[in-house]
Amino acid sequence: MLEIKPILRSLMRSKAGAAMLIFQIIITTAIVSNAAFIINDRMNYLSQETGYPEDEIFSFSVMTVGEVDNLSTLLEGTEQLIRDIPGVINANLINNVPVSGGGSASGFGSQPASERGPDTRAAYFTADENIFETLGVTISEGRNFRSDEVIVGSTMNDVPQVVIVSKGFADTHFPEGNGLGQTIYFGNAPMQIIGIVDKMKGPWLKDSAVDSVVVMPNARASMRQKFIVRTEADQRDIIMRDIESVLLEESNKRVVTYMRSMDAAKANYNASDILMVRMMTVIICVIVLVTALGIFGMTVFNISKRTKQIGTRRALGARKSAILRYFLVENTIICIVSAAASYASSLFLGEYMMSEFSLPALDNSYIVVTIVCVFAISLLSVLFPALKAANIAPSIATRSI
Amino acid sequence: MLFYYMDIGWRSLRRTPLVSILMVCAIAIGIGITMTSLSVYHMMSMDPIPAKSDRLFAVQLNTMDDNTDWWSDDNMPFQLTFKDAMHLHKLKLNDRDENIDIRKTAMLVAQFAVHMNNDEMAPFLAMTRIAGREFFPMFEREFVYGSSWSQEQENNAEAVIVINQELNERLFGGSNSVGKEIYLDDTPFRIVGVMQQWDIHTKFYDVNNGPFDSPEPIFMPITLVEPNQIDTAGNTNGWKYGDINSWEDFLQSENFWLQFWVELDNKQETQRFEDYLLAYLTEEATKGRFEREVPSFSVRDVNNWLDYRGVVSEDNKVLVGLSFLFLAVCLANILGLLLGKFLRRAPEVGVRRALGASKRQVFLQHLVEVSILGLLGGSLGIAIAQLGLWGVRTTSGNYQALATMDLGMLLAAPAIAIVSCIIAGLYPAWLVCKTQPAIYLKTQ
Repeated sequence: MLEIKPILRSLMRSKAGAAMLIFQIIITTAIVSNAAFIINDRMNYLSQETGYPEDEIFSFSVMTVGEVDNLSTLLEGTEQLIRDIPGVINANLINNVPVSGGGSASGFGSQPASERGPDTRAAYFTADENIFETLGVTISEGRNFRSDEVIVGSTMNDVPQVVIVSKGFADTHFPEGNGLGQTIYFGNAPMQIIGIVDKMKGPWLKDSAVDSVVVMPNARASMRQKFIVRTEADQRDIIMRDIESVLLEESNKRVVTYMRSMDAAKANYNASDILMVRMMTVIICVIVLVTALGIFGMTVFNISKRTKQIGTRRALGARKSAILRYFLVENTIICIVSAAASYASSLFLGEYMMSEFSLPALDNSYIVVTIVCVFAISLLSVLFPALKAANIAPSIATRSI
Repeated sequence: MLFYYMDIGWRSLRRTPLVSILMVCAIAIGIGITMTSLSVYHMMSMDPIPAKSDRLFAVQLNTMDDNTDWWSDDNMPFQLTFKDAMHLHKLKLNDRDENIDIRKTAMLVAQFAVHMNNDEMAPFLAMTRIAGREFFPMFEREFVYGSSWSQEQENNAEAVIVINQELNERLFGGSNSVGKEIYLDDTPFRIVGVMQQWDIHTKFYDVNNGPFDSPEPIFMPITLVEPNQIDTAGNTNGWKYGDINSWEDFLQSENFWLQFWVELDNKQETQRFEDYLLAYLTEEATKGRFEREVPSFSVRDVNNWLDYRGVVSEDNKVLVGLSFLFLAVCLANILGLLLGKFLRRAPEVGVRRALGASKRQVFLQHLVEVSILGLLGGSLGIAIAQLGLWGVRTTSGNYQALATMDLGMLLAAPAIAIVSCIIAGLYPAWLVCKTQPAIYLKTQ
């Protein structure tokens, strides 16, 4: 019924053309399935929740030039000045900006560092009690810093007595879940955990311990001081544009730099992943197009080669549907033959990339879905020329070329 | 003869416009995608200093206790401690004649607010490379005005700097600024030289923070670090807890924050330098600074260093690999189309063969035809690659200098296109030149 035998015989007669189609389908499937997998992997990473309202936050650095009597007083004044700008929710001095790709980390242990006990690595931020509102995160257990616990001024030897940690840190360092109230050591300095923030990310999203964060109550100003500001989302761009002149008006002995919104900083840190997603998307689209056009071109060619043959078949009583079916069945055979090899080649490419590069293992479902899609696309590319072939008039068989 | 073949080829392509356009598009897209990823890869992996890359070496010393985990591949810190770096910096390996001693320099990066101490110009931030005077001859730096600071100025930690042409343009309108003063933070520095602009894509001498950043515009003697308390703007990594209460403590600490480069012109020098490192580390270990069974260090030349530091990202390698696979698909596509096209022309070839064309001539004629395809596709491919590179540049500012095609890549595009088209055309051309003239003459 499906005329498989004559189709096979005709395919065998033009082996090279069929072989090229099969080769094309195999490689296409391998590329598309792996590229789609990489895209999905990166999209998962890029779309992860940071816990911060990224569209409301921006940061910048103020570098103070020249001698200043009391830097902390000056910059706290600046901080208050920013908070007073309409549309600003809160602002804070901070040592490093979350999700920006630049920061500080240290080991925090249950014993003083000089006793060399086991410790848990965590990114740390130093700021005052306003930081949680500024970052838009909530303290789910315990309490916020009291302002008398925050270290200000310039004495090097003052160390914070209390600390607020992320749940990620608390759960890693105290697996029993009793982190609140415990003491951890920063170097040799003991600090008591007074609060736990449910969700908070460190400066490096690619860090394996990205959820492990410690916040110390320390508002000591530095000559290169970072500021973090949270505003109403719709006012952020305007405030970002105008804030520099406000700051310079207060004092012109300073340089304001690294003005960046949190989402821009994150996009900059993730530029290579965004690029990868874009490139892979382009490759998938274009390769599908090229393969479809190739199948289309081959079919058009075969049909024009067999015009007379098709006319003869029609003259001998074959229905239009039979002609259409012939090409569709031919394509299906090629796809079925390719399927197994496609599966193997995709798997091989996935394994190879996993072993050579730090990519996760390719999921089988991607291969299966890709094979089905490639099959559908190839059928579609055959359909149009095949419909044209079905319309070849039987009379063509009676004419000479 | 070639022109005749080109003429036939062109006519033949025009006879089947749809298939020709399909083929040109296939090769153009294939080349476009491949050249986009290859250009970025090429820029990232280009040898930044070809004349000397095998003579400049990055030095690593393992001054940590055994069993200290570090995140590098070989468990070795990327940077050096201040005391080790300065010890090696000041070391005289040849104490008889210091003119023939090896060149070497410790270095680090710092950031300063640059201003002229007046109200006319707002201060701005600039990165500064802090190194020894040998930095300039080691990395082949030439001067537009003046020269590097002298050994004496370096020894005395004088407040002198070298600036690059771009900064000289910005501050002094490009005039000779040697002897003038500018302020870095609150310290006046005297300019002793203006260095020629340095256009490298990879800041290979310090890949810690942004390996594709531009070289720093200001250079300053490394001996100023200690008296001026200059802190690094790069990474500081520690492995051991130490009480640090003063600048002196920090300089003596086991923190890693300096880079070290050495120029070794031949095997003997390399041997001598490595012997010294071994002896030095052994001695430091016996002083009880760290507990190591076997002293370990590493001396890598520029290209090995870039490879070791993974400057070319894995993503980029994946992209280049997939792009070439993609090109293979385009070629398979073309091969299939050529096969059909050439074989349909068998009757014509039969006549040509009967009229005396040799197999060789028929074969060459078809290869010329596919080369035309390749040339057209390659040229169009360059346009597509430019579009692709523009897309890459819009992704992030980091790619501004990297996502461009240099002359080599521009020439490579049509070359790759033509070669791959010829490869795709070999089998169809061979098939068609085997045509038996008799068969076609009979049926006509």
